[in-house]
Amino acid sequence: MNKFTIGVIVLAFAAAGAAQAGNPDAGKEKSRPCAACHGADGNSPAPSFPKIAGQHYDYLLKALQDYKSGARKNAIMAPQVANLNQRDFQDLAAFYSAQHGLVTRKNSYLVPTGKH
Amino acid sequence: MPRRAATHTPFGYNRAATCIHRLLPSRDMKVSNKIAFACAGLAFAAALSAAAQAPAAEAAGNADAGRQKSSMCLGCHNIPGYKTAFPSVYSVPKLDGQHAAYIVSALRAYKSGERRHPSMRAVAASLSDQDMADLAAFYATAPAQSASR
Repeated sequence: MNKFTIGVIVLAFAAAGAAQAGNPDAGKEKSRPCAACHGADGNSPAPSFPKIAGQHYDYLLKALQDYKSGARKNAIMAPQVANLNQRDFQDLAAFYSAQHGLVTRKNSYLVPTGKH
Repeated sequence: MPRRAATHTPFGYNRAATCIHRLLPSRDMKVSNKIAFACAGLAFAAALSAAAQAPAAEAAGNADAGRQKSSMCLGCHNIPGYKTAFPSVYSVPKLDGQHAAYIVSALRAYKSGERRHPSMRAVAASLSDQDMADLAAFYATAPAQSASR
């Protein structure tokens, strides 16, 4: 077993640990107030409200934390997150990041689509 | 914008001029009057087109132009799983499939300083309203899989 393989295994465990930080089922229950603007699964129907379906777990978590801390200011989001705790944030982020929605198109200039 | 649009909409101009012409008591109109009525018709058409364009205050975005301008974005936002290390470590947000209007509002907030992020503020500060609209159109052009649901 070379170092690369060990590294891959460690990373896989780390990724699994990060993914389990929130409970998507609990997040779905807690997401009801969010659905009014962001849509039931995070694909918001209104162009002024961002789609959050499929967004990265850690980015969603950071956004929610920043709204609560005041680092990110928004008149709508601030009162929404005021009564939520870290566990709620993790559950919501787990739910929305697991939905189909936003994607990342590969930058064809930097990432060759063929073999390396 | 309305003035330019008026010169490109002869239908509106002709229609207005014709309507005014029918109201005239005589067909032997002085040249100066004709010019005056033509100007009135032109102003009327301009007002019409201005009213029609009023709801669309946003610059119209062009996805192809946005692709050309996206070189500053690609290095972070189009590498799957890419994380930024500054100012803290987290995955850069996915943009593909996002609403264009939301992308524009986010870029404006970064440019004004209302939304704080050192890299994004620097990028957004260099963008015009047209650049923002084009980039938003490019990123809103979602691949098929995100169009479902």
